[in-house]
Amino acid sequence: MLKWARTKSPWLLHFNTGACNGCDIEVVALLTPRYDVERFGIKLEPSPRHADVLVVTGPVTKQCAPRLKMIYEQMPSPKFVIAVGACACSGGIFQDCYNISGRLDEIIPVDVYIPGCPPKPEAIVQGVAKLLGKLKG
Amino acid sequence: MAIDLIFFVRTLVFPGFLFLLVLVLFFDWFERKVAARFQNRMGPSYAGPFGILQPIADYIKLFSKEDITPKQTNKFLFVVAPILAFSLFVFALFYIPIDGSNVILDSSFEGDLLLVLLLVTLANFGIFLSGWASLNPYSGIGATRILTQFLGYDIPLILLAIGPAFLAKSLSIVSIASSQVTVPFILLIPWSCVLFILVLQAELEKDPFDIPHAETEIVGGYETEYSGRKLAFIKLSEDFQFLIGASLVTVLFLGGFHGPVFIGPAEFWYVFWFIVKTLGVVFILEYVGNVSARLRIDQVVHGNWKLLIPLSILSLALTILVEPLLRSVIG
Ligand code: SF4
Repeated sequence: MLKWARTKSPWLLHFNTGACNGCDIEVVALLTPRYDVERFGIKLEPSPRHADVLVVTGPVTKQCAPRLKMIYEQMPSPKFVIAVGACACSGGIFQDCYNISGRLDEIIPVDVYIPGCPPKPEAIVQGVAKLLGKLKG
Repeated sequence: MAIDLIFFVRTLVFPGFLFLLVLVLFFDWFERKVAARFQNRMGPSYAGPFGILQPIADYIKLFSKEDITPKQTNKFLFVVAPILAFSLFVFALFYIPIDGSNVILDSSFEGDLLLVLLLVTLANFGIFLSGWASLNPYSGIGATRILTQFLGYDIPLILLAIGPAFLAKSLSIVSIASSQVTVPFILLIPWSCVLFILVLQAELEKDPFDIPHAETEIVGGYETEYSGRKLAFIKLSEDFQFLIGASLVTVLFLGGFHGPVFIGPAEFWYVFWFIVKTLGVVFILEYVGNVSARLRIDQVVHGNWKLLIPLSILSLALTILVEPLLRSVIG
């Protein structure tokens, strides 16, 4: 029953670690009538204390890294992280920039990677579905 | 002993705690679904048939999550305030007659309308304290906004609730409901009802008055620091408050548990009509919420002191003026 409840109500927190805003638009598009992820019980929550899944977009800049860690620590466990976009997965086109502190998974553990620049909303939904499948075990 | 058994069943199962909990979860689902349909979305649809189990999934998940108490908070208040608010709301709901009488049999008395309004005010203080105890700037702002908004809007709410009580010549909720058997008060004093719903919108922190947890400005408002079980209690008390608000409109203006069709057991039809009417009220509340945008805090305060209080005094005066004319149709 616990597993069922967890897979039916993942609440997301969206965090931008220095993305070019392309990925963010796609994440927000999930809430629009066209994709409507509330069907799956997914809600976008304002505070990290409420969230189950951290959706990170963008390469992690040096300035953002400690804040990202803080937000991750503020989330109550069990918690999961989804890396959305090529930047979050690998650094993308900003890989070797002077202000980038590294890939996302060098800073916090990542459960699902969704590549694409930016990934389509369908791809993000599929990524979330993968995560839920993983939760079911 | 037999009497005790009835008491326990009534408080714990039907129409007491368990029934109210199921009802609240159902209303939560209904609210989300209606809001989604207004926005041309599907709303929750995969947890159970039509997503009806969505609120249950949410709450089970919240109850099973880690429960963080941040270091800087006032620990005692932080833990107690949500539970206090929750239990006060449940207690207030016990005085709403759902199946023809109160949850605790024969506990209705002259003036329980005022008691319910008082309990709701106190419970809102609980919510305020929960935000205050978090010691987070966002929660602090959210909490003070609750206080500003709630204390102001309590005055017109009570003034408007006096209208039906005046027509029924009683301050007890059961007799107000039963004096509307022939004609519900919404037909006699529609002006009061419209204003009451508008003020209720502010009491329930719905759009256009949802400044206490305006997500785009102050993160989660008073609930920012809460997680796990305590967040579940806060969300539950919000849902209970919503049910109390909707059922207050039902009993004060729509004739409460009385309905046009009665075949067979009266209790069943009482509950049936009560729920149908309350769902209608919820729909109207959601409608108002979905077609309006959020006001600024100063607009909310001005709207209250400059507009709604004079209007509700006027509406009460009008009610008193026309009362002799209406006397003949009141059952
Ligand atoms: S993956 Fe592409 S769209 Fe997304 S943040 Fe990086 S550059 Fe922008």
